[in-house]
Amino acid sequence: MTEYWPWWAGAVGLALTTINYAVTTDRSFGVSGAWDRVLHWRAERRVERVNAQFADERVLAEALAAAAADQFGAGSAAPAARPAPHDDARASEPDVRPPAAASPALASLLPAPLISQVALLLSVFVGGWVAAVTTGRFQLRLDMGAAFAQIVTDKPIAMIGALFVGGLLVGFGTRLAGGCSSGHGLNGCGRLQPVSIVATAVFFGTGVLVSFLLWKVI
Amino acid sequence: MRTRGGLLVANIIAGLALGYTVANIGFGDYAELNRMFTFQELRMLLAFAGAVAIIVVVFAVLRVRRTPGRIHAGVIPGAVLFGTGWAISGGCPAIPIVQVASGYLPALVTMAGIVVGVRLCRWANTRYFHLDSGSCER
Repeated sequence: MTEYWPWWAGAVGLALTTINYAVTTDRSFGVSGAWDRVLHWRAERRVERVNAQFADERVLAEALAAAAADQFGAGSAAPAARPAPHDDARASEPDVRPPAAASPALASLLPAPLISQVALLLSVFVGGWVAAVTTGRFQLRLDMGAAFAQIVTDKPIAMIGALFVGGLLVGFGTRLAGGCSSGHGLNGCGRLQPVSIVATAVFFGTGVLVSFLLWKVI
Repeated sequence: MRTRGGLLVANIIAGLALGYTVANIGFGDYAELNRMFTFQELRMLLAFAGAVAIIVVVFAVLRVRRTPGRIHAGVIPGAVLFGTGWAISGGCPAIPIVQVASGYLPALVTMAGIVVGVRLCRWANTRYFHLDSGSCER
């Protein structure tokens, strides 16, 4: 079994993963967001279908203008729906634009496709498995290790309860906070976003406090 | 990689790299995690902080745009719950996946807890909180 990576190798690995994703996609990734979207796949597919109908910014603007006209009268239609004066000469020409395709600006605002979120979670599993096998750490076991038994509990039923409650708090908390250690911690703090800096400081600080309580008190 | 297929490939690469990296740092090992949170061992803490430092510098140089996000009423309570759950179970949302992949079968229970927690949060938010908690992932 090989040693864990030194800190600098871990830092470079996490940074490269985050930077590569941001540079190639102009987005952030987050594992808790992926969990949320995959677990609500029915609702997410409905959203994707609606988004697909409005994939073209122009269609979206016209739809909004039409809705506004329906609601408030034709005079209130958004200017974007009306041809601009300099467009009068082209008003009678057939529309020769390419078929609906999201502009880069609009596309980056839409959620990543649901299938890509499924792929993210499955790939984390494969990446972790490759690491475990290639380093000789893979071992099927029914406990969480000696440290967990010593610090949290060594009773199987209590272990299941602690893991379930811990997982529940992680799932609920990350979604309530809008992100986790990858979304807020790496991507958000990397962008110096105030919300991510606050969230990361609080979840890390709480982790420190609870760990000390488990280690020294409980 | 901004098309649908491109995003799929980018997420596969990110997932593989993230799973491989966090497993090799030791985030799936409860002993290492507790040593990080109690400052007995600074290796994992420095790995995380070092990664953030590198990302800050590179994003500033490349002028990577910020993503939407504001400090709403759910951020601090949510982060407190998350930190508590992480310290107890040893799993942030990616880690139980890595733990199961490393052979820790009880981490499936952590994943079940995450499933319930994530679904419960969206239900409670829709019904009671009405927070525009959004997500930092866009």
